[in-house]
Amino acid sequence: MKHCLLPTLLVLIATFSSFAESPAATAPSAWEKSILRIEVARKAYDYYQPWNRRNERAMKTGIVVGERQILATAQDLSDQTLVRVQKNGRGKWTTARVEWIDYHANLALLTAEDAAFWSDLRPANLSTKPPGEGAALQIVRWREGKLENRQAEFTQFTVRESDGSAINHVQMELDSEIRDAGSGEPVVTDSRIAGITFAQRGRACRVIPASFISSVLEAHKSGNQRGLGYFHFYWQPAENPASLAQLQLTGEPRGVLVINVPERLDGDAPVLKPHDIILKIDGFDVDMQGDYTDPEFGSLTLENLSTRNKWAGDDVKMKIWRDGKPLDVTYRLPGYDFQNSLVPIAVRDQPPDYLIVGGLVFQPLTTPYLQRWGSEWERTAPFRLNHYRSDEATKAKPSLVILSQVLPDKFNIGYQEYRSFVVNQVNGRRVTSLTELQAALKQPKDNFHVIDFVPNESLQRIVLAAGDAEREATDRILKRFGITDAVQITSKATAQK
Amino acid sequence: MFLKTVFACVVFIATASSFAIEPERSVIQILTYRQSPDWSAPWRFDAVQRAGGSGFVIRGKRIMTNAHVVSWCRQIIVRKYQDAKPYIAQVEFVAHDCDLAILTVEDESFFDGLPTLEFGELPKVRSTAVTYGYPAGGEEISYTRGVVSRIELSPYSHIGNRRLLTVQTDAAINPGNSGGPVVQDDRVVGVAFQGIPGLEGAGFFIPPPVIQRFLKDIEDKRYDGVPLAGAGITSLQNPAYRARLKLPDNNLGARVDRIRTKAGSSTVLRADDVILRIGEYPVASDGTILYQGNRVFCALGFQLGQSGDSVPVQIWRDGQAQDVKVTVEATTDDQREGNQFDVQPRYFVFGGLVFTPLSLDYMRDAGREGAEAAAGELNYELFFRSRETPELAREEHVVLSSVLTDPVNANFTTRGRVLVDRINGIRIENVADVIRAFTTSTNTHDVIEFGKRGAFETLHHADAVRANNKILKTYGITQDRHL
Repeated sequence: MKHCLLPTLLVLIATFSSFAESPAATAPSAWEKSILRIEVARKAYDYYQPWNRRNERAMKTGIVVGERQILATAQDLSDQTLVRVQKNGRGKWTTARVEWIDYHANLALLTAEDAAFWSDLRPANLSTKPPGEGAALQIVRWREGKLENRQAEFTQFTVRESDGSAINHVQMELDSEIRDAGSGEPVVTDSRIAGITFAQRGRACRVIPASFISSVLEAHKSGNQRGLGYFHFYWQPAENPASLAQLQLTGEPRGVLVINVPERLDGDAPVLKPHDIILKIDGFDVDMQGDYTDPEFGSLTLENLSTRNKWAGDDVKMKIWRDGKPLDVTYRLPGYDFQNSLVPIAVRDQPPDYLIVGGLVFQPLTTPYLQRWGSEWERTAPFRLNHYRSDEATKAKPSLVILSQVLPDKFNIGYQEYRSFVVNQVNGRRVTSLTELQAALKQPKDNFHVIDFVPNESLQRIVLAAGDAEREATDRILKRFGITDAVQITSKATAQK
Repeated sequence: MFLKTVFACVVFIATASSFAIEPERSVIQILTYRQSPDWSAPWRFDAVQRAGGSGFVIRGKRIMTNAHVVSWCRQIIVRKYQDAKPYIAQVEFVAHDCDLAILTVEDESFFDGLPTLEFGELPKVRSTAVTYGYPAGGEEISYTRGVVSRIELSPYSHIGNRRLLTVQTDAAINPGNSGGPVVQDDRVVGVAFQGIPGLEGAGFFIPPPVIQRFLKDIEDKRYDGVPLAGAGITSLQNPAYRARLKLPDNNLGARVDRIRTKAGSSTVLRADDVILRIGEYPVASDGTILYQGNRVFCALGFQLGQSGDSVPVQIWRDGQAQDVKVTVEATTDDQREGNQFDVQPRYFVFGGLVFTPLSLDYMRDAGREGAEAAAGELNYELFFRSRETPELAREEHVVLSSVLTDPVNANFTTRGRVLVDRINGIRIENVADVIRAFTTSTNTHDVIEFGKRGAFETLHHADAVRANNKILKTYGITQDRHL
């Protein structure tokens, strides 16, 4: 990192702003050479017709942070077909490419080949310290050819899920009158970047803080590609002293109660057990609410200790209380992958998987599929499908396949209204993925395919003709509905994992 | 066969009374004062509400109306046509599944000079009928004429989880019309009972086959309920499925898709049996029978008789037709999945923790206070668990409804609307288990484990016992339990 490249300028601006009433009036010029606009053309998919794709355009903000390096959030960069960058907020667009992306940290680095593009750009520095109370913060971006600079007020540090991932990490919340921010605009203080925005609701802006960005970028630079880890267990606050007494904890009430430890898909030992009390993590005392005192950010929830300078595969020391006595344990952080969830919360850089047999469309159950019910999808998507999101993936049931719709044809007459059923077995074989479905369809019974669904109040079984009749029907249906391929499977199989 | 008997009887009555038909004289206005419980605080009742409906005089000095008109009533007042005098009435029989009730009047002189209405048969579609009643919007009796639009099995919204024979008409049927007679050719061909919010020109009435079955059911002075086949039946139109079952491609037969795990499971029928005929009715491949000229879902064939009846059914199994007898049973196993009436919710309060069975009523009342996410797990347990994993289902699911704050429980982070899994290691299958788990424990602490994530809370047992009476008093609960 290049924290020390511009010490003089830093001092200069710091001095200047200390007596200037409005630093906003002069600060923009300092940022003109670092802030870029990014235009992303990307493929967007229709999970209701997974063979369809359309083009979408997104605009983002990027910041030059190093030698030919542009920092941006990972949002809207998946499934991209063309990325272009523009300086000065106007004029020529230059083709860029994504050099590195981490969807769970919500960060990406972009570069452009054209040497001339870089000539008058200047890398910005990431702040090394979080902003203190009352720090003068601004959100900066290009808007209609001018650099827009809005005041922002620091609200709090929180530990929440990253946008588009289930990983928790430290975030900063700001209050600002800026509108439609949240696509990577830098938050600056004095001459440094305090963070980049990734969401805004009302006046509340959510920001990835600089120190988190630095630690992820440093790990990337040093060749650590393991990604972020997480705590794969559930806990509750230990605010009820009767529970601590019942678990024979002596001394002051402290720690949190482990309540559920799901099976680990990576095969590692679970280490923790329900009703363990976690007293310390990575040397930090955990209080009854599950908070620890972070040297940088103050009080944060313990989830942050899975991402505070730690990576998937790293060991985290914990002190726990079990069976009436203290115990030191080592918890190895599992890596997070979208496929770790029974219902993956996102599908990136690949078209939706599907398989069509005789007009029956099968798809994996994913959150993007449920999101096709619109902005209120958590309420309006079929309850049963939605509710699977609260279940853990297990080795026996790593994912789910659903019958999403039936493309009508004489071959599937009688089944045309059926949809949203979860597949249980096909031809007597358990099916949890499209790969398993494909294999099961190779073993028809007496030239029939027998498809059994998870018991429900509408339908539990469908029978289809197999063999030539099915192949002919599938071909005819694909042709009539203008679909090129009967099968599209790009996800890696997880059943063997 | 009993329908023919009814028909003959009806002809006789019609002749006898043809000279003096004034149905409005037999139509009764019903005024009620009702009070329903708060299922999330089960010792408590909501404010008394005034409501109204209609009814009509039938043989034996009785009034017929809808069950929903008289449910949860503290007082029922009936008034005659153009007569101001209020009379007190009581419920003699109530059938929540088919939304019918029979009332008697304390002062039998009420019936003096009132003609009784007799029942007709299922009206024909496209014929017209007149609905009599006392709908909202005025005090006097109201008449609305409508065309019989269609006849099919539809959900009965009073109970919420039964589909029975229903007649749709374009006559305006509004609140207050409920329980009023639908008359054609001087005979009652239905009891007005429900509409569809937002759908104008569509009122629904309960037709004679449902009414007659109800009247026969209560002949033994006890109401048993509409019987069910205990099997889920679906259409069988796909040629491949038919071929696999070696069934001729003749447009006959519906498939047994599943046997109910609850609600009177069938011991005779099996999944993939094909139902060719129910009683006298051949079953078409779309799952319908032709009933008095109307195509209706074949489940009707099992609903016409009484609980315990043996219905002759022709099925197709193992490539050939067979005659079997299916015993149909009325059941209340699934009552918590529908609306419940006239029963005080069961509960148990210990140390300020309120335990009650999970039910649709509970979900609705608890939902009134928000928390949609927490409802997901309860919703799953109530409606899906017994179908998907019956081996893990419980006799009834018990929820911690709320925590009545007291120093013994003030530190609880779980404060209600969650499923109770275990108490002191005992798996909770019903409210009685909760009582057993607390009263048999000899440990210093009671440990209560919740839901699937395994959250738990702990009570100091002796402290909770000591606090119990004070808590009941503070919150105005007379009894710590109702079972």
